[in-house]
Amino acid sequence: MNPKWAEENLQTIRTLMERSALYRRALAPVMIICGIAGLAGGVIGRLCKLNSYPAFVAVWVSTAIFALSCSILLMRRQALKDSEPFWSAPTRRIAQALTPPFLVGAVITGVMFDGGDVALAEIIAILVWCLTYGCGIHAAGFFMPRGIRWFGWVFLSAGFALIALLCADVDLLQLFGSLHLLMALIFGGLHLAYGIYLYFTEKKNPAA
Amino acid sequence: MNPDLFLQLDRVIHEKGRLAIMSALAATPELSFTELKNALEMTDGNLTTHIRILQEEGFISVAKSYQNNRSLTTCSLTKAGRKAFADYIDLLEKIVRQSKP
Repeated sequence: MNPKWAEENLQTIRTLMERSALYRRALAPVMIICGIAGLAGGVIGRLCKLNSYPAFVAVWVSTAIFALSCSILLMRRQALKDSEPFWSAPTRRIAQALTPPFLVGAVITGVMFDGGDVALAEIIAILVWCLTYGCGIHAAGFFMPRGIRWFGWVFLSAGFALIALLCADVDLLQLFGSLHLLMALIFGGLHLAYGIYLYFTEKKNPAA
Repeated sequence: MNPDLFLQLDRVIHEKGRLAIMSALAATPELSFTELKNALEMTDGNLTTHIRILQEEGFISVAKSYQNNRSLTTCSLTKAGRKAFADYIDLLEKIVRQSKP
């Protein structure tokens, strides 16, 4: 028997183990629904002039809860359709990867309720959400198809860009007209763009 | 290289399809029949046959339940299966080590 075969077999085993630990549900519909929710949140916040810090946070926490609920329903529906458990091992790993950065984001958002400059507090909230969401997505990406980690980096880059603009004393409120629009652009726009990209590129059976 | 090492490889796990099932199950606590089928690109019949052989050998356990009125079959490695798989990997690594100059 050729010893080279043993090495190839070990490589095959490694690939199969990695593949079986990955989350394999279609992400395009989840990203698109998150994108639409983000854009809708921005439009509602802007039109209803919900500009105080508590109102701003309320709009975006509600949007996040709505997007998360829709995503869970979509994923559950996919799992039931495929006769697979919803709360599978890869799903649990993703939830575990997302929890710490999301918790950090929630705590910092809560701490900033203390008052002060409203616009600055909202900009810092957006900045923190971009960075923590980017970290969470990147961490979850280790249990998902490779592209997700890049998506995490896009959010991190958006956060870094906001830091650069803040350091350069750029008035973001004046630049975008409303910070709700900035949020819609970052969270709604990026999710929608990635969802559309995935819709055309995602394999029907990503495990293959 | 010691040719006995090849003879020590577990014949049940050594088959390509069954090795794939064992590998997939080794990376996660449990997998449903559909998840295994999709991950390994096997037919229902092929997968059922291999699962039965591995089950008879005591390497995997199969649990049947219901989820929203649909039957759900999940497979997981048993303690014996995990040990057999680890031993198989150890042997492969030994073979690779011995084959290197």
